[in-house]
Formats: sequence, C-alpha cells, structure tokens
Amino acid sequence: MPSLTAEVKIQNKLGLHARPAAMLVQTTNKFKSEILIKKNDMEVNAKSILGIMMLAAEYGSRLVLTVSGKDAEEALRAVRELFERKFDEKEKENA
Amino acid sequence: MLKPFLANGILMEKTFKVGQFYSQHKERFKLSLFTEEHTLESLIVSHEVSRPGLILCGFTKRFAYNRTLIFGETEIVYLENLSQKKLNSYIETMCSFDIPCMVVSKSLKPPELMVEVANRQKIPVLGTALGTQEFARKLSGFLEQYFTPHTFVHGSLADVYGVGLMYIGASGIGKSECVLDLVERGHRLVCDDVIHISRVGENTLVGMADEKFAHHMEIRGLGIIDIFRLFGIRAVRSRKRIEVVVELVHWKEKVAFDRTGLADRNTKILGVELPLVQVPLVSGKNITVISEVIAMNYLLKLKGYHSAKEFNRRLLEEMGQDSYIDELSE
Repeated sequence: MPSLTAEVKIQNKLGLHARPAAMLVQTTNKFKSEILIKKNDMEVNAKSILGIMMLAAEYGSRLVLTVSGKDAEEALRAVRELFERKFDEKEKENA
Repeated sequence: MLKPFLANGILMEKTFKVGQFYSQHKERFKLSLFTEEHTLESLIVSHEVSRPGLILCGFTKRFAYNRTLIFGETEIVYLENLSQKKLNSYIETMCSFDIPCMVVSKSLKPPELMVEVANRQKIPVLGTALGTQEFARKLSGFLEQYFTPHTFVHGSLADVYGVGLMYIGASGIGKSECVLDLVERGHRLVCDDVIHISRVGENTLVGMADEKFAHHMEIRGLGIIDIFRLFGIRAVRSRKRIEVVVELVHWKEKVAFDRTGLADRNTKILGVELPLVQVPLVSGKNITVISEVIAMNYLLKLKGYHSAKEFNRRLLEEMGQDSYIDELSE
C-alpha cells in the first residue's frame, strides 16, 4: 500500500481555524486512506476536525502530511490543492 | 479474528535546544551564559545528567558524553590546580566529544581555557547560582518529565466507574457519540478526538486532554460542543490512567468476533501492554451499557474473578473433566 509524505505551508492569513479545518475534513473524509497531519511534535488524524484545530496552525507554519492507503495519491493531491488555494479565504477577512 | 489494533501513535522524538532551555528557564534555574550565543544551538537529547568524572584526567573510556555535565566546586578547584599543559590537554580531550551542554554550579567561574575550547567546539557552557546537588536534582526531574515517552492517538478517553476506557476506531464510527452517552449516564470525559498519552514509569499510560481545548467534542450534525459547560464539573476530568482499549469496528458477517472471552487480547502502546476489547457495531446496539460492562468486568478481573474462565470451569466440572480445568481455563 502506498504511503506518501509531503510538507505544506499555511498560506491563508487566518491560519487553520474552524472554517478551513471543516473544509479539510470534508476533503479528507472522501478518501479511504489514513491521513495524518503533523505540526512540530504533535500528530493528529486529518479526518478529525477537533484534532486539526488543536494543532493551532498559524499563517506561515509548516505541516507534514502522511497519507497511506490505496487512494493515497489522489488524497494527497486534493489536500495539497486546498492549501494552495488558501482554503478560498477572502482577502477582506484579513483586514 | 480481526487484526489486533496497533496505535497509529508512534513515539514522538523530542529534542531540546539549549537556547530554549536557557531563555525559558533562566530564572527557575538561575542561569547565566559563559560561551558565545552560537553555542546555544546545541541539542539536549537525553534526560540524564552527570558529573564529568574521570574525563577530567583524560580517561575517555566509558565517558557518557551525551548527557548534560555538571561541574561543581570539586571539579572547578581541581581544574584550577592543574598545570597549564595538563589543563589544556584534558580540556581538549573532553571537548572533542559531542557534549550537549556543560553547567558550572554555585556561581563559580570555569577556567578561561575551558570557555575558549567550548566556543570553538560549539559546546555551551552555562552557569547557575544554585548548589551542585540542588541543580542536578532539579534539572534531572525537569528533563525526565520533558523526555517522558509520549504520543498522540486518535480516539476518545473516558472514566467509567474509575476505569480508563480508551475508544479507538475508524473516523465516524461513533466513538464520540458513545462517550457522550456515557457522560449523560454520569461517567466522565477525559478527552475526545486527540488523546495525548505519556508513559509514566515502566507500565503506566496516562491520557491527557489538550490544556487549551480540553473537554470539547465534535458530534456529527451538531458540531463542536463544550462538555464542561453543558454537563458541569462532574462530567470531566483532565487526566486518567488508560486501562482498557475498546476498539469499535464495523460488523462484518464473515469475521469471527470473540465469543467466549476466554483468551485475553492485548495491544501495545509506547511499549506498555493493555487489554483490548473489539466491539462490533450493529445498529440498535447499546454500546454504552457494553462499555459499563467492560469496565466492571475489568474490575472483576482485577479482583481475581474471570467470568468466562469461571463459567468454563463450572462446565468442565459438570462434565466430570475436573482434571482438565486448569489446562483449559488458561
């Protein structure tokens, strides 16, 4: 079974608060693979919204994703895409 | 039988930058710095502290260099009394090892040469105003706590009749709902979703809630709820020893689940064995009552009463097979 790791950077100004965390779990739960997300020495399940929020991942912080399972590649692509489009955060929210 | 659960929580490696120790605990340990700032990049990798000992006479065998070395009055006076030549040679020998950190106690001053060589070898030399024994004791306790093996497991932890039940299972299987039901029946929530587990001593695992986000749960359809606000102080606790792992699994027709309970199953987390109970889920099943029974059964076993084995013993007795009782009940 493939297991992939990748580093992502939080590019939206508000960090991983409730809304982006919800978007993230909606995406991760579409896949069968186990998806773990790690910040510093804390690693949580990326399918659980509370866990993701407990990371308190602020703007600019780096997270390590570990995806293992049959659909690991698709899952990783989808998750990275979310980070890259900054969770659709609107600029005015940053004011 | 389903494969026994292995915690996805792997041992998290911890390191501790001397700079972080110096800046965050300067007052508590009454610290000062003798070497240049760049030496603070050095990493403490072990909780062990020791005195330099025979390395100060150039004896390198069995030198435990990867510990924090504490220099007390004896060491400093000894170094001051060495000839320049010997001092140079011993200090060079010692500092050729990759020592994470050296600390001089009692507000004493290390020989200038030692600071010079340490700067070159990128070994930080700190000073403390505390006495040697006091500093060693405090630092050792502090580092032991910092380096205690720990991990994070995706699951929920509840105190049921004083027994720490840790629920694990696939995302969305109903761990939180089960614990919510338990809380409603008077049991206590420790944490939901992310369990921070530390090993205390050799055989004890303690689960803790995150300090900042403790006692919240996510219930599908409701969102995030605050158990402390909803149910009050009696419904929560901040840490609990983990005693039984309960794995919730989807019912599968072809998989044989444990029917007798004769063989105790185990799982391992951070090297500690814990009893594991796999509970298959079907709709309409009351997992809360089952949880209470798991806790009570565990308490009975602690008291030396094993329901399944006792039942089998009586059965064998009834069939006149007394001589096989010990063999078949183990």
